[in-house]
Amino acid sequence: MDVRLIESLTDAGIDVNSAIERFMGNESLFERFLKKFLEDSNYHDLLAAISSGDSEGALKSSHTLKGICGNLSMNHLFDLLTRQVSLFREQRWKEATEMMSDITESYINITQAIRRNFS
Amino acid sequence: MGDNRLPAVAYNAPDTILVVDDDEINRGILENIFCSSYQIDEAENGKIGLGKILKSPDKFCAVLLDVVMPEMDGIQVLRHLKKLQIPDLIPIFLITAEASDNTIKEAYHLGVMDVISKPVIPYMIQKRVNSIVELFQARKRLGNVVEKQQSELLRQAQQIIQLHMGMIESLSTAIEFRSGESGTHVRRIHDITKYMLTHTVLGKDLGTEIIDHIALASIMHDVGKIAIPDAILNKPGKLTAEEFEIMKTHTLQGAHLLEKIPQMQALPAYEYAYDIARHHHERWDGRGYPDGLKGNEISIWSQIVALADVYDALVSKRVYKNAFCPQKALDMIRYGKCGVFNPDLLECFFSVEKNIRELYYAYSAEEVV
Repeated sequence: MDVRLIESLTDAGIDVNSAIERFMGNESLFERFLKKFLEDSNYHDLLAAISSGDSEGALKSSHTLKGICGNLSMNHLFDLLTRQVSLFREQRWKEATEMMSDITESYINITQAIRRNFS
Repeated sequence: MGDNRLPAVAYNAPDTILVVDDDEINRGILENIFCSSYQIDEAENGKIGLGKILKSPDKFCAVLLDVVMPEMDGIQVLRHLKKLQIPDLIPIFLITAEASDNTIKEAYHLGVMDVISKPVIPYMIQKRVNSIVELFQARKRLGNVVEKQQSELLRQAQQIIQLHMGMIESLSTAIEFRSGESGTHVRRIHDITKYMLTHTVLGKDLGTEIIDHIALASIMHDVGKIAIPDAILNKPGKLTAEEFEIMKTHTLQGAHLLEKIPQMQALPAYEYAYDIARHHHERWDGRGYPDGLKGNEISIWSQIVALADVYDALVSKRVYKNAFCPQKALDMIRYGKCGVFNPDLLECFFSVEKNIRELYYAYSAEEVV
């Protein structure tokens, strides 16, 4: 992976080295899943669940998205979602949903970085 | 003599890891970590995963199980597996992002070998999974070796029993041969004794093992004849009183001979063999030899062998006589022409004599061959 790519992904909140380690040095597999991340529906499902007041659906999407971010070492977004999941679990709906602006910002940073580099 | 090597163990260790996770990236990461050492099979929810395990439990060496999944979650899968005791055979690993203490506790209770947190760290999960898979395989392999060795030992024990039965039979047959009888005499005494004990009330208090010991012992009833000179043993005419006294000693000589062989004393058949060799010429009325025992002072097995010996002598050709037909032999026994027997014993004998006669047809068929 070239330095500029690593820099760009790191700026978007991805710990590239830890991710490549998790993929056992298999960079192309990592890249494949980064591209797949763009098609993943969980972020949009989360938005939809929140706007329709579906607390169960919101928890589920937030939890699944968190797992994906963890695997791809999107540490910033992962931390935000970890916090949101526990708020949902504690039924602190208002605080959980208020996190959406930060989550959206981080999500957009990441998706833009991926698009820039791989499309 | 034999092959003393450990039995080769034909044990094909399963080498497939089943990854049960609804998230494609998780499955991809786990597959990528393990694909160099294992075959990988995948299931995208608990229900499919459970189906695959139940369909071929022998295929998998480990199951990596996610907790939160659609259709059926990891804990539900575990509950099913636990009921079928599958966690004892296949190590199950729970791979989870953030399980509560209660979930982890229940998972261990349901038999998981380890709980590994997501996102996974490759070298750590590799080490933990490999160690447990090796443990399970070693355990299974050893179990197989022990099982094979056990059945091998059993087979050898059986062989030893047959071998020493064969030696006892050879010794007794060799001695019978000296008196010009066919080798089947001892075999017939064995079979009649066993038949009487197995098919009449006479053996009702004896287990099948004891009956086998007694039947084996009956083979040795005449081993004392080895000490009787040829001239007396094979004399075609009637024995003189003095010769008969010598002939009678074969009972004590036989008992004495058996007593002298330490290996014989170690056999479970020894007590019976000694008793039968010594007392198979005692008589119900106390006028037999060598000890003049009377009635039930004589063991039932010695009584049976005495009767079988007389019956066989009557229906067989001997140096001093021709064979009588079975009916004639029965009459002679019934009317006390050949000694005095326990009336209960006679009744049992007459009730099964037809079947015993069948045994004789079987022997003569063998002898023709």
